[in-house]
Amino acid sequence: MRTRLSSLALTVLLGILGLGTVFPFVWMIISAFKSNSEINAADQTFLPKTWTFENFLSIESKFDFLRLFGNSVFLAVTITAIVLYTSALAGFVIAKYQFRGRGMLMGFTVGTMMIPWAVTIIPRYTMFADAGLQDNYLSIIIPAAISGFGIFMMRQNMHAVPDEVLEAARIDGASEVRIFHRIVLPMSTNSIAALAIFQFLWVWDDYLWPYLMISDNANQVLAVGLTTFAGQYGTDYGGLFAASTISVLPVIIVYIIFQRRFVAGVASAAVK
Amino acid sequence: MTLSLRRSAPPAPAPTGSKRRAQEKRRVRTYPGERALRNVVIIIVAGSLLGLTAYPIGLAFVGSFHYWNPLVGAFDFVGLENYTTILSSADFWGAMLRTGGFSAIVIFFRVALGLAIAAAIFSKVTRGKTFFRTIFYMPTVTPLVAVAYVWQMMYNPQTGAINTFFGLDLNWLYDPQLALPSIMAMTIWKDFGYAVILFLAGLHAVPEDALEAASVDGAGAWQRFWRITFPLLAPMTVFVVITSIISYLQAFVQVLVLTKGGPGTSTQLISYLIYDKAFLKYDFGYASAAAFILLIVTALLTLISFRFATGRKSSLEG
Repeated sequence: MRTRLSSLALTVLLGILGLGTVFPFVWMIISAFKSNSEINAADQTFLPKTWTFENFLSIESKFDFLRLFGNSVFLAVTITAIVLYTSALAGFVIAKYQFRGRGMLMGFTVGTMMIPWAVTIIPRYTMFADAGLQDNYLSIIIPAAISGFGIFMMRQNMHAVPDEVLEAARIDGASEVRIFHRIVLPMSTNSIAALAIFQFLWVWDDYLWPYLMISDNANQVLAVGLTTFAGQYGTDYGGLFAASTISVLPVIIVYIIFQRRFVAGVASAAVK
Repeated sequence: MTLSLRRSAPPAPAPTGSKRRAQEKRRVRTYPGERALRNVVIIIVAGSLLGLTAYPIGLAFVGSFHYWNPLVGAFDFVGLENYTTILSSADFWGAMLRTGGFSAIVIFFRVALGLAIAAAIFSKVTRGKTFFRTIFYMPTVTPLVAVAYVWQMMYNPQTGAINTFFGLDLNWLYDPQLALPSIMAMTIWKDFGYAVILFLAGLHAVPEDALEAASVDGAGAWQRFWRITFPLLAPMTVFVVITSIISYLQAFVQVLVLTKGGPGTSTQLISYLIYDKAFLKYDFGYASAAAFILLIVTALLTLISFRFATGRKSSLEG
């Protein structure tokens, strides 16, 4: 009886907190289907009185959000793929080979995670502007291609790949390149999934750097487009709800699909 | 980062000269292809460290001693002037204090909520563990720019969900007293799920027989948590605190979206101040000097947290 009661109490408590946690998302999605007059009305209802797609259609005609969405997807997928590969490779080499300077390489790589963006963004801005890379996606891709966090996380993960497995493959005559691609990568899927979501989200969310580097509106990313839209149409709350929904929903869907793998990967990065 | 934290025994002493040589002798042969992989990694990682981190830091350091304004093409040596201006500026100290308060409060709630919710989900009597875990982690994986706009609309005094729902009439983001706490609340909501996941992982690693033994000895649930579970979670707590310190000293996007530092300077955090100086006023020299001070503060706080963690650990063991 007592455990039943405490079970109920805990579940109710978690339920209330959970509702509070998802409320902003629910409210955002529902409000995106309200007309602006309803959003601004004095008496607020939770559900729209009349459901409308008007917000989604109007932001598209005003701002070409699909295009920005496509730009963000392209950059996020490209950078994530590069980071996953470079991080897994560097993590493998640093974890499994003995060589001079290994500790230093790892130390400095981890150290980069501590450096505030404010320190490097000004010189990087002048460097990339001087190199004529403004309005070029290379300026977004190059600084993100090697990730200190990614290397750190993948190196932690390499404890999950026992040396005996590698030795066995070596005895069978597999080259190191083959071992990395055929054994190490498939054994690292949890960490790769976790890093993939993190990295995807960072690119998706990056605001200041694309804002500084890309001036052509058609090539801009979604996060910057959102702030520009809010600046120009600040009173179009319906549009802002719709634009936020477009930006948030894909990430939530990907997360829910991969959440089990993802949670395992995130946890393993910190535990070992 | 956590490598040494989780280890309970002190790190093994470094191999002495002769031992090391013996180790190397045992493996004179490198594996086929190893050298190539190693060189590729060394070149790309060291290249990126030098070109995209070390060189920019050097440039920022040199620039911090200059009047540096790209709009007028100025790069004139001014010595320590930027630093003396900053250190005697009320705006800078205000932003630093605000950032300190912001970080301390957000980190406290992030750890407290994360620990409490993780313990609740971990409890044997809780149903729907995966469901709750998925829900609580959701804000962490959503893009900050977009959710910051959603919160801005939730804080809207006329039409926002918060005033409507609680029947309040508060001007959250335009009241100098409430604006910073409002940003804190949004940040806590966004980030506590990360702590939940990490503490859950930590709880799974707590040995069950220790808890059972304590239970047999008559320790209550509360005592078991504070005497056994919590000390074992200390390394995880330190990890959460250190990563939080690093990220909150850089908090910027939520300020940009919600208040742009206002009203007045009541929500101007240090990273927003640097952004404002660098990319709205184009005073690169001043901004670089401020960024360097931020770097030093970050490094010191991280170091102190590590020291605190290792000191604590040895006192527990000793």
